[in-house]
Amino acid sequence: DHKKYKFRTMRQNLLDASDVLDEQIEIFSKIIQKHFNLSPSQFSDPTIQSQSEIYAVGRVVPDSPNAEGRLNTESLALETSRVMGIGRRVRLDLKKVEELSMFSGQIVALKGKNANGEYFLVDEILPLPYPDAPVSTEEEISESQESLEAESMKVIITSGPYFAEDSINTDLLLDFVNRLNNDIKPHVLIMFGPFIDVTNPLIAKGSIPSFPNLKIQPKTLDEIFIKVITPILRTINPLIQVILIPCTRDAISKHASYPQDSFDRKYLQLPKNFKCFSNPSTFQLNEAFFGCSNIDIFKDLVETTKGGLTFSRDRFDRISEHILQQRRYYPLFPGKTREILASKEKKIYKHIAGADLEIPYLGLTEFVGNVAPDVMIFPSELPCFARVVQNVVIINPGRFIKHKGGRGTFAQLSIAKPDLNDGRLTKVDNDEPVYLHNVWKRARIDLST
Amino acid sequence: NSIDSLQPLETTISDMERFAEVALLELSCPNCNIEFPFGGIIASNYYQMCYNGLQCKKCEHMFTPLQISSQLESCIRSHISLYYAGWLTCDDSTCGNATRQISVFGKRCLNDGCTGVMRYRYSDKQLYNQLLYFGSLFDREKNKNQELKPLYLTGDSDFPKDSLKESSIRALSEQNRELLEVNQGVVQKYLSDCGRRYVDMGSIFDFMV
Ligand SMILES: [Zn+2]
Ligand SMILES: [Zn+2]
Ligand SMILES: [Zn+2]
Repeated sequence: DHKKYKFRTMRQNLLDASDVLDEQIEIFSKIIQKHFNLSPSQFSDPTIQSQSEIYAVGRVVPDSPNAEGRLNTESLALETSRVMGIGRRVRLDLKKVEELSMFSGQIVALKGKNANGEYFLVDEILPLPYPDAPVSTEEEISESQESLEAESMKVIITSGPYFAEDSINTDLLLDFVNRLNNDIKPHVLIMFGPFIDVTNPLIAKGSIPSFPNLKIQPKTLDEIFIKVITPILRTINPLIQVILIPCTRDAISKHASYPQDSFDRKYLQLPKNFKCFSNPSTFQLNEAFFGCSNIDIFKDLVETTKGGLTFSRDRFDRISEHILQQRRYYPLFPGKTREILASKEKKIYKHIAGADLEIPYLGLTEFVGNVAPDVMIFPSELPCFARVVQNVVIINPGRFIKHKGGRGTFAQLSIAKPDLNDGRLTKVDNDEPVYLHNVWKRARIDLST
Repeated sequence: NSIDSLQPLETTISDMERFAEVALLELSCPNCNIEFPFGGIIASNYYQMCYNGLQCKKCEHMFTPLQISSQLESCIRSHISLYYAGWLTCDDSTCGNATRQISVFGKRCLNDGCTGVMRYRYSDKQLYNQLLYFGSLFDREKNKNQELKPLYLTGDSDFPKDSLKESSIRALSEQNRELLEVNQGVVQKYLSDCGRRYVDMGSIFDFMV
């Protein structure tokens, strides 16, 4: 529901925040009990001494509130919910566990024993169940099939910045719109911010040169968008649906926290083929469910790992699985911050940006309906990638432009028309038969420059 | 509630008091890179307001409106982001725990045995005041009437060598009307989304009930 993102910002209440953090543990306690068929009586407080083995659910936290930087397997603790362990935290002894990947903020289910009151000795980490995949009825599939004239639905995905760090040059954007209209001709274009990045050095230092093609110079950052970017975006063929998703560093958004309200299309003077969505947002293009979150989880999530099997796997696969298991687009807590060294001699760091989490509203960052989208898009500063993880297509389109202005990357996704007869949809028996979309079997992704 | 326990209405507090702890607006000259605090239409060794805008005293560069407003906006956003970094501190002075960890009992200190109460180090009230301060720098009436928080105290090494006449301040406030309005607009954009502001307004009505 879009209206839920319209809350006022800059007024976080600590009690509301802790309510949400407590609820996350409680929600998973129920999911875990149900999935593993355990009774509530098999769960108890891991922070107190006990003679027998128990199950416990909690949040992975550092064993000291002042811990900074990378955590190791000796510095992790488990935080309990209010109900389970009066919110106490207990150090984890992980020596018996051979393979693990943990991170701060992760909700985990553990089996083990607290023999001395000091440590919870973990025997086993219970893998959290993956959420279900979305399904459609026969009728819905036929509708999708009919609505598409082409053999497949073509979606282009780009992510900001769209300007270099040393000039506000629009050549690449102009060139891209040209290719879009004449060569690529997609059905849908998804553009992620930042469009005008408040942390861009040119903007932060106020050294923006004048725009020689404009009679009246823009006086604000909003006006740069309206006078410089809007005219370019307006030349996108109106048959192409364009979806804009903000970033908390976008000057054109006054809502600078995550979850984040959508841009104001009318204020930005964008035509009707543009849709402004929230960050994160979940939506459907034909039958396929898309989940989009514009916060750099692939860069921010730093795991504590153990074991050769875990280590030999691709890091992006592990993080994707964490996101799916946690059922939230940004499961890391506390969110990452970015500082720069303001004074070398005094070792003073200045805060620049961050995940900017609005904790009382983190519920809006959970998977809608506890269902994993068919396609999930997470723009990241890291090089572009596309993978299939647990039957979900995961895409990072990469930056549209490189720091120094070189051509960056974008993603092109084609999803073959759904067909009840070609065997690529899986029938799930229900009262009324429904079908898994199996987008991962029907999709083709190209990462282009 | 006795009369003594009533807090003065926020609007009756002077800017000097209200803005006692705000951070200054630091501008940097796009031409010579010198950095200086901007305090409105006042005397400064680093900048002067001319009839057609803001000028760097070191290199005589005239700022374009965008060169001021983009720095103001970037600065506001870094304050909002620092607020959202969510640093907490323990109010027990013997503990002094500073952390971004939050207990599921929000106010509980995570140091063993400490009974102190955790609070946001950058409170929403502070952020709101910070925004109001930035707004005041571009408030035409406050500039005209010289009601701005002074940047310097007598004896400061940076204390301005020259002073500005009241009549020139009045004239400059009018001549730079557009510049002031553009930057007021930038501050208002964020104040319009600021939850604290509505609490402030709400409390006026609470007072009347
Ligand atoms: Zn908002
Ligand atoms: Zn200068
Ligand atoms: Zn304390």
